[in-house]
Amino acid sequence: METIKAIFDFLTGLGSPVMLPIIIFVLGLILGMNAGRAFIAAVTVGVGFIGLGLVIGLLFTALGPATEAMMKATGLQLSALDVGWGVAAAIAFGTAVGSLVFIVALVVNIVMLVLKWTKTLNVDMWNYWHYAFTGSLVYLVTGNNLVLGLLAAAIHAAVALLIADWTAKDVQEFFKLPGVSIPQGWAITSVPIIKGLNWVVEKIPGLRDIHWDSESLQKRLGIVGQPIILGALLGLLFGVVAYGIRPEGATFGVILGKVLLLAVQMAAVMLLIPRIIAIFMEGLTPLSEAARAFMKARFAGREFFIGLDSAILIGHPITITAGILLIPITLLLAAILPGNTTLPAADLAATAFFVAMVPPLTRGNLFRSILYGTIIMAIVLYIASAFAPLLTQIAQDIGYAIPEGAVQITGLSGGNWIAWILTTISRLFAGG
Amino acid sequence: MPGSTAGPRLYKIVVSCGTAIATSTHVSIRVKEMLEERGIKVHTIQCRVTEVPHLAPDADLVISTAQVPYDISVPVVDGIPFLTGIGVKEVIDRIEQILRIR
Repeated sequence: METIKAIFDFLTGLGSPVMLPIIIFVLGLILGMNAGRAFIAAVTVGVGFIGLGLVIGLLFTALGPATEAMMKATGLQLSALDVGWGVAAAIAFGTAVGSLVFIVALVVNIVMLVLKWTKTLNVDMWNYWHYAFTGSLVYLVTGNNLVLGLLAAAIHAAVALLIADWTAKDVQEFFKLPGVSIPQGWAITSVPIIKGLNWVVEKIPGLRDIHWDSESLQKRLGIVGQPIILGALLGLLFGVVAYGIRPEGATFGVILGKVLLLAVQMAAVMLLIPRIIAIFMEGLTPLSEAARAFMKARFAGREFFIGLDSAILIGHPITITAGILLIPITLLLAAILPGNTTLPAADLAATAFFVAMVPPLTRGNLFRSILYGTIIMAIVLYIASAFAPLLTQIAQDIGYAIPEGAVQITGLSGGNWIAWILTTISRLFAGG
Repeated sequence: MPGSTAGPRLYKIVVSCGTAIATSTHVSIRVKEMLEERGIKVHTIQCRVTEVPHLAPDADLVISTAQVPYDISVPVVDGIPFLTGIGVKEVIDRIEQILRIR
């Protein structure tokens, strides 16, 4: 036991760009990949990590000062910058809990399949980051208790499988995706909220009958949906608010220069983060293939749902439309909700994910997708605000250079209530 | 085709999903590998579903893991089998067939 602990401490001491590749390599071998392929996959994941570090640097150079200027100019206490799901995931995978999450989530899945507690085989390894996120938060608030951190990740992974089973029929029928279920770590947390809201809305005459048609809206909104355009527009908006309201003696030319630079920087962030995540994904793909082959060979003849990313649901016209409308709604909510500290930014490119499960659970209702989406985003903003100090701490602990100052980091995509409940309970017990 | 000297033609495939990152990377890698085994060279471009209408006209084929709610002039193939592992051979056969006649 002592030796294992010593080895593990050594590995975590190496930092996530080294630790994670080692785990991926070993896991790849266990799942039957040949050594060469496993090695390439492992190093690719490490490279993705290094790349993310670079982009986080850019994000801070561009948005850190603008965020501070915006708070000064408006008096809004939006000190927690939303760095988006790419960065949130990198931070979540970067802790000791995060590096072990692949093993934990696979073991949970195998055990639950053996006991017939689930039909879902979750091959969506990228989205294990949500479980890692929950586990990493618990790990931090319990004073680096690895067992509790891993337990929290395991609970999130298990709940994900159960909710994936629960919604499988609706998803399969609505999207015509036979044999598929969605255990994505954030999406599953929206399901109880949606079902609860359905229950309420069905009781209200008038409201329950509203149905909007999305086609005409969708055509007009198409161009805003592109990350680079969205980034540039957000940069312009933030720039004008931060530097334009109170010029403090600066000339028009200087202000214009700052605003335009911010627009291009924000567009760069929106484009570059996903590109680097793709490198990460490239490393995980062969692993996910190996896991699927490994599990299939051992559970032959059983009825399976293949658990996939909620990204496959995003193409529905209602989801696209509601997602785009949620961008201004979320910004407005952030400004008016009392006590919110989250400044929505990078995850505004991913708003569709927050309502991906609404259409299948409301038989394709655009009105409800927007209504529920608004309520969901309010919840998400509060949870993201609550997580900001913790996430900032974790990012610093694993070696990301976050400048000291008023600005913290958070992610809308980390705003899931399972993580919040588990973190809150752990805090009570840890007394932290 | 400009730039193509001797050798097999390079086909251009647009692979789309909800993010242009997660599932589309998975599909791109698999499609490239499997088509290469059949002697077909492809260049893949990943994008979000909302970008398909802009990118599809220059491509030979669109493979999408998410629903494509637009009218597109090039063939659109469902990418989900590459994720589930069910029906992969049938899809890759179809993709090969579409590319061979283009």
